Amino acid sequence: MRLLLLGAILGTATLSAQTSLLAPAAPATPAPSALAPSDIYRSVVRIEVATQVPDYATPWNSGRFSGGIGTGFLIGKNRFLTNAHVVSNGRRILITVYGSPKKYPARVLFIAHDSDLALLEVEDFTDFAAFPMLEISPGVPQLESQVRVIGYPVGGERLSVTRGVVSRIDFQPYSHSRADSHLVVQIDAAINPGNSGGPVVQGSDVVGVAFQGLRSADNTGYMIPSPVVRRFLKDIEDGSYDLYTDLGITDFPLFNPAMRKAFSLPDDGLGVLITDVLPTSPADGLIQPNDVLLAVDGSSVDSSGQVTLDGENVNMHEIIERKFAGDIVKLRIQRAGQPSEVSIKLAPVPASRLYAIQYEKKPRYVVAGGLVFQPLDTNLYASTKLENIHVRRLFGDYVRKGIFLERKDIVVLTRVESDPLTSQMEGFAGLAVDKINGTQVRDLTHLHEILTAASPPEFFVVELFGAPRPLILPSAEIAAANERVQREGSIPNLSNLKD
Amino acid sequence: MKFSAILCLPAACALLHSCDQPSAAAVPARLTAPAQAAPTAPIVDPMKSVLRLRTTMQNFNPGQPWEKNPPVSRRGLGAYLVGGMVITTADMVADSTFLELESPDGTRSAPARIVAVDYEANLALVAPAAPAPSAPDAAPSAPDAHPIFAGMTPLAIGEAPALGDTLDILQIEENGVPLITRGQLQSVDIVSTFLPDNFFLTFRVKASMQSVASSYTLPVVKGGRLVGVLTSYNSGEQISDVTSTDVLSHFVREAVDGNYSGFPSLGLSAVRTDDSNFRKWLKIPAGEGGLYVAKVRPQSAAMLAGVKEGDVLLAIDQHSLDRRGYYEDTRYGRIFWSHLVRGLRSTGDSVKLSLLRDGEPIEANAVLVRDEEGTGLIPKHSYDRPPNYLVKGGMVFQELTRGLLEAYGKEWTLRAPMNLLNALENPEDFEEGRRRLVILTGIIPTPATVGYEEVRNLIVNEVNGQKVKDVASLLSAFGTLAPGGDHHIKFDEAPYEIYLSSAAADAVDKELRQRGLAELSRTSAQ
Repeated sequence: MRLLLLGAILGTATLSAQTSLLAPAAPATPAPSALAPSDIYRSVVRIEVATQVPDYATPWNSGRFSGGIGTGFLIGKNRFLTNAHVVSNGRRILITVYGSPKKYPARVLFIAHDSDLALLEVEDFTDFAAFPMLEISPGVPQLESQVRVIGYPVGGERLSVTRGVVSRIDFQPYSHSRADSHLVVQIDAAINPGNSGGPVVQGSDVVGVAFQGLRSADNTGYMIPSPVVRRFLKDIEDGSYDLYTDLGITDFPLFNPAMRKAFSLPDDGLGVLITDVLPTSPADGLIQPNDVLLAVDGSSVDSSGQVTLDGENVNMHEIIERKFAGDIVKLRIQRAGQPSEVSIKLAPVPASRLYAIQYEKKPRYVVAGGLVFQPLDTNLYASTKLENIHVRRLFGDYVRKGIFLERKDIVVLTRVESDPLTSQMEGFAGLAVDKINGTQVRDLTHLHEILTAASPPEFFVVELFGAPRPLILPSAEIAAANERVQREGSIPNLSNLKD
Repeated sequence: MKFSAILCLPAACALLHSCDQPSAAAVPARLTAPAQAAPTAPIVDPMKSVLRLRTTMQNFNPGQPWEKNPPVSRRGLGAYLVGGMVITTADMVADSTFLELESPDGTRSAPARIVAVDYEANLALVAPAAPAPSAPDAAPSAPDAHPIFAGMTPLAIGEAPALGDTLDILQIEENGVPLITRGQLQSVDIVSTFLPDNFFLTFRVKASMQSVASSYTLPVVKGGRLVGVLTSYNSGEQISDVTSTDVLSHFVREAVDGNYSGFPSLGLSAVRTDDSNFRKWLKIPAGEGGLYVAKVRPQSAAMLAGVKEGDVLLAIDQHSLDRRGYYEDTRYGRIFWSHLVRGLRSTGDSVKLSLLRDGEPIEANAVLVRDEEGTGLIPKHSYDRPPNYLVKGGMVFQELTRGLLEAYGKEWTLRAPMNLLNALENPEDFEEGRRRLVILTGIIPTPATVGYEEVRNLIVNEVNGQKVKDVASLLSAFGTLAPGGDHHIKFDEAPYEIYLSSAAADAVDKELRQRGLAELSRTSAQ
């Protein structure tokens, strides 16, 4: 690029050329393109969101009314791209444009919580019709290449532009869901609160969506790169967003020579050991623990689990990441010293969503006689202190030990509301429910059915994990206790079984 | 003797008077005087019946069990008992590497040894370490004749005090001056003062204590006799915890005969029945109390007597238990039922249990045993027991103890590895084929452990095809490998199985020995 610049100057005037030859070298910038930097400013919009965040600690309450600011940009006819975390739990979304005070009501068309992306549309697109639409570039920008971040971060009310270079390309957790990792590109341009959802451009092309930063480091911001954005846009072409697929395998690096020898592997630095396969996952039944994974779709897997993709060394899961439910992935494995090829049809593992923060969901709960039952999930964990070792173990083992096959919900007795009926039951709060009258509780709805049965037994004998004795609830007294608790606690509904 | 530092209380004045007299026997004359006589004037002279105890405690580094943590020194006071022994707390002697008795005036000192220690009750008996005989045919001297006790008067253990009684807590200041603090036995409670979950009758004595050198483990006396040992003081409430006379006399009686049989237990854990819904379901008749038997320990006295989970314990030896587990003690009022077994009985005694099963009354007879320390997958404590370990090629293996998990700090129940916390909570899931639970605690990066650096805190199942039941069997399993082969280690969790080159491991072991790891294993029977 430097050559291009010099060439252009030499072609004009020698003085300028000499001046430019002697002048300190400017950082390489991409060639000027059709759209001037300022043309695209209008297409980068400010998104104002009013939210209602549910309260999992008091699940019948309305939650907290709050809000925030983010950035979005126009990528198609009435299609604005932004981050999922900008618009999550949103109740009112307003878009404003550079240079104009007018606020345009908008709504979410598609939202991907597992990759922190969302697509919005405005009610009335007329004023935007002439704006340029930003193109998402096909690949990942090169290390050290320059990028610009455009958006509405803190520090002012108007559009801001910051500049930096691509620092690192990596596979990292996306903090919005807490349970997903995808390709990220780290840049040193300042990314601050408010920048979320805004475009990171190289020339006039978008190379990523600014979305998170690293508080413990300086000049470390992250963007969602094109491949992840393009996958999202492709996924929603059929009218709905489907989850990322999950192969369902856990791997262990094969660096140790004695271990390689035991698995009959040559000293070539390739191959990882499969240690676990998630029940019901795509790999279940096709891949076994102690299989050695050698290649994914023809790309050799090295001992640290990396493959070479588009000339870059990336985590092997990158190959799976770019596929959709129903796609096939071919794995080359070695089992008991014998090589073989396995074709796996990809699908998500819905049970794993237990470990992701849920948005736009109404907390499920059941109040029975003053006892409050809720299903265990990451949202509950984040809002309530749950330290009981059995609860922690059930949560950790839910998918990998197949607990989800027997219990769709791990039901926890989260609160004991004060009432004459429950005044001696406080010690049971925070424990997970195992059985009621000898029947294993499968999920919250099942618990509700048992407790509201037409002809209940005299006593409900509730066995909780880790409790020294069963909790005894006399069925005849539940209704009166419910009435008192509803009145005293301002609880509008005794249960919510749907999220 | 100088008494300038003593508070001017009637007690102190009487002491002053008694010291002027040639012998303690002359003192009673003052006490028998009516009305004006000082109430319960102390006859004990700390300078004659109390010794200083110096200990150095040094435990093993949990992460590097071949070496010890830095030593910690402590000083306390012990009461001199009949028979040439000194009573103190187990806390003072736990993991001790050095024990020394010192006369209160500092003129005599002697190395000491532990005669008996009970970590559950937090008591220990120490005595001067046997002196070398002066002549081969000289008669062994009586224990009291040891020079450390010269001029001293042993204490006898007294009758248990009643609530409201005045007790004296003995201290000796740095300059050798005795300090006696009068306190009142305000209440009793059943508490655990050292090993968790071991509850014993404890006196709560109200007195404002001074912080004085050697203020750990103070003797508490009444009427010239020892009635308790002070184990802790809460300065905010001005209440001291004092081990009760029942527990103290049981310990000393059992320990002195040389065959210490500890404190008995029934082997059941029980919970209250004060929840009215719970009582209705259990069909407990009105007017009865009762405790719900939540767990019966295998092979325990309760199990052998036929007690089952779900039974309601109504009475022990005709002492009715109320719905919270308290019974009426003639001396101390309502106290927790465990004292009926742990405090008032000895191993081998028989107790009658009155139970309710499915609403029907039944009786059972339990012969009390001691809950042996050696049984159980995870030992109750690891004091005075150097941890067993094996270092192989850089892999560090140990036997799981509670202490290893407590090393994670105050919040260890949240921070220690989940799988090990689970094993501590549910040892019965791992007991089969095991004496102890062997775990890989960590990896020293070496040429033999390339690629395994992140592997740690895993339960070991098998090595080279042999089940691992403790560190000794782990060591022998490593020894069964044919030369030149690779060790095969199997774990309970991912990565489930790994391999260790024996040639590389042997070379690493040789190098580790040269670099300060003198012993690569310890497999003492524990």
